[in-house]
Amino acid sequence: MLSVLSYGRIVARAVLGGLSQTDGRDYKLVTASCGFGKDFRKGILKKGMCYGDDACFISCHRSADVLGVADGVGGWRDYGVDPSQFSETLMRTCERLVKEGRFTPSSPVGILTSAYYELLQNKVPLLGSSTACIVVLDQRSHQIHTCNLGDSGFLVVRGGEVVHRSDEQQHYFNTPFQLAIAPPGAEGSVLSDSPEMADRSSFDVQLGDIILTATDGLFDNMPDYMILQELKKLKNTNYDSVQQTARSIAEQAHELAYDPNYMSPFAQFACDNGLNVRGGKPDDITVLLSIVAEYTD
Amino acid sequence: MITVLAVTSFVSLHWRWYRSSSQNHGRGAALPIAAETESELDQYAKEVLDFSSHYGGEGSMSYTMWNAAGPPSVFPSSGDFTHTAVFRTYGRWWQDEGVAQRFSRTPSSFHSRDFLEVTFEEQIFPTAVTVLETYHPGAIVQILACSHNPYAESHTTDVSVCRWEVLWAGEPTKVTSPQARQFCPPIRQISFATNLLRLEFNSSLLDYYTELDAIVLRGVRKRASGITPVIANTCPAILNTTQDNLTEGNGYFAKLPYELIQLIVSHLAVPDLCRLAQSCKLLQRHCYDPLQYIQLSLQPYWSRLNDLSLAHLQSRCTLLQRLNMSWTGNRSAISPTGFCSFIRACGASLVCLELSCCHYVNGTCLEAIAQTCTSLQELDLASCDRLEPQAFVQIAKLVRLRRLVLYRTKIEQTAILSILTFCTELRHLNLGSCVMIEDYDVVVSVLSARCRSLVSLDLWRCRSLSERGLAELLSGCSALEELDLGWSSALHSGSALHGASASFRHAARRLSRLRRLYLTANRNICDADLEHIATQCPALEHLDILGTRLVSPAALRRLLQSCPRLRLLDVSFCSQIDTRTIQELSALFPNVSIKNSFTQ
Repeated sequence: MLSVLSYGRIVARAVLGGLSQTDGRDYKLVTASCGFGKDFRKGILKKGMCYGDDACFISCHRSADVLGVADGVGGWRDYGVDPSQFSETLMRTCERLVKEGRFTPSSPVGILTSAYYELLQNKVPLLGSSTACIVVLDQRSHQIHTCNLGDSGFLVVRGGEVVHRSDEQQHYFNTPFQLAIAPPGAEGSVLSDSPEMADRSSFDVQLGDIILTATDGLFDNMPDYMILQELKKLKNTNYDSVQQTARSIAEQAHELAYDPNYMSPFAQFACDNGLNVRGGKPDDITVLLSIVAEYTD
Repeated sequence: MITVLAVTSFVSLHWRWYRSSSQNHGRGAALPIAAETESELDQYAKEVLDFSSHYGGEGSMSYTMWNAAGPPSVFPSSGDFTHTAVFRTYGRWWQDEGVAQRFSRTPSSFHSRDFLEVTFEEQIFPTAVTVLETYHPGAIVQILACSHNPYAESHTTDVSVCRWEVLWAGEPTKVTSPQARQFCPPIRQISFATNLLRLEFNSSLLDYYTELDAIVLRGVRKRASGITPVIANTCPAILNTTQDNLTEGNGYFAKLPYELIQLIVSHLAVPDLCRLAQSCKLLQRHCYDPLQYIQLSLQPYWSRLNDLSLAHLQSRCTLLQRLNMSWTGNRSAISPTGFCSFIRACGASLVCLELSCCHYVNGTCLEAIAQTCTSLQELDLASCDRLEPQAFVQIAKLVRLRRLVLYRTKIEQTAILSILTFCTELRHLNLGSCVMIEDYDVVVSVLSARCRSLVSLDLWRCRSLSERGLAELLSGCSALEELDLGWSSALHSGSALHGASASFRHAARRLSRLRRLYLTANRNICDADLEHIATQCPALEHLDILGTRLVSPAALRRLLQSCPRLRLLDVSFCSQIDTRTIQELSALFPNVSIKNSFTQ
């Protein structure tokens, strides 16, 4: 009995000692979400974290904060399939995987891969496709691990400057990489990328770093300088101010999306591809805004 | 193996540390703790330790038994959700699968068909057990508590310490509504604190799969004074009858013909037989007669059976032909040595051996079986998921096998190939959820070449079977009556490229004897496939085409018209089939049970 107790003490010391070796305290993410569906009637949250065909999740497990966004590909509506079903189920499955601890923080691709596999395990014959972006903060090592498939993405902003960002993956103009479950008979003709194709990165973060994760609805309508301008207003790390900033970014992007004369980044890109397009790009917008803060219980 | 040990010892150490630190806290503040012990404590299941079967795939978290742990995620909603724990079968549809006849002498109070063992964080005296059933409730028939703490630091499990007490037992019930419910039966008080529960199920009266969301154990840390345990000690060694001093003189009873007493005695359950043997020498002779032990089912007594009781039974079981030891001997109650010596002594004329969920079975045990039971025809190793892959090679020596169940085992390709090469008399084969088999096409091609008299084949959740493999199987095994291809994920991706799923039509053309066909979650089944099945399989009784978008109500109607023997038709999650169609068809074909599951 006594030996067990003393052994327990040794283990406890070893664990605590291991903690104190990493510099300072653990970090955490304070995250707020905001978004708009393309369809005005669906402007508010449908069920949980869904904006139009976009979906997102914020979750944590032990020493990892995990968040993600997914943009359901709208083209499926023509087949009589609700595109939000795929993105939503994908995000809900990711959330469940995280909650149950079935992941390693250093491998967000693992989360995406298992979530995609679970979609195929559903009795309901799901159809559709979606882009996805997942960000994991390892609270101990102060690192974010990310994976991104398609044209959603994230920015890490430090001192008013973008210090790290995701790469966009497109097959061709306006056709991002995507996870897909195709209807039988159309497997060859539907774009479907493996979760393994996702772009991955790891990045050391500092206290006060802002991580903005969003679907293309934001990045297509707001250039970096506008986003940075909004982010400058974020002064502290409490949830309310993060929520407020997230809201103001989403609202601004939403307004710009319906401005016919505004030269959006999307229109710019379209012109570069030889298409004469002006104005914003009406799309579902999902914004997850996180700030790196010190871990408190 | 070493990693598993390391992990468990680490967990137990951690637990120990956590416990001791929390106790130290308790001593610092004695008053609040004392107040706390009075109140009841609710705990959700922490971990699922063992179970007999599940619907989900091994690496998955959809419809698997592991979902029974943790707080509820579906309740109070009702429906067929991925987040829940689901068993492999329901109703009576699967019961006569294979040739497993019911063992005589099975007590009428034993209803259990499936089980689930869950642990909780802290040992408490239970006052209530609540099971959140979210879909087709009513399957629970027994709840038991164990005195053994699976998180205790010592791994030298003392058999006498491990005691199971029944908290509640009932009969299977028929609940017609699929709606969610909280099942909270009145439970008996027990004399020990527990953090290990076992739930036993019988879904045979249910209309569809039962689904469990969570299990809550409510109890107190200290037993309230005044409550005396109802059962202080049920005789745990009822099977261990010993020689007593019995006197002669049985009056006229001894004059009865030997066969007549044998006949009377043959109606007794095994524990009664053992009790009767203690009454007098005459009856002892009758009760110990090996003819009484031609078939023996020890499954109902799984909690009490140990090495000692096996050793006692040994001398009586010399003529043993059918032995059911499923679920027995876990937590080291039976050792591999004890089992081997029993098999070596009693296994010579064994024809049928059921060993599902027997985790003591290892390579040595299988070797003993292979050497002794040369005339074995049936072997069930379902859910022996801790049995090492190399051990299975031994089965190849049992050349007279007709039925082999390897559901949820870790058998590998080489072992199954050698089994199929030598056991050419196989009639029934279950390779469901065998995740270590890499290439089912190879397995199936050997099967079609060697085991041509195969009647039933279960390939549930085999990941690598392709159309080519299926075609080969059907060309060789033309006697197939039962084919389970549920969740065979590789079958539905490739075939679509060559127009519709030609392989299923091929399947239908070859299989005029087919009675049961499960194409669960094969997303490719289309109207043309159904037409072929309708014309080529007149003997069809069960058909499952869950989860296809390509089947229309008209095709379904034609199928029902041309298969007069159809009894079970599962069209759940077929997006073209709506509730109204189901109602219409059910009214037109009242003999067919048409299943249509739902999520919302």
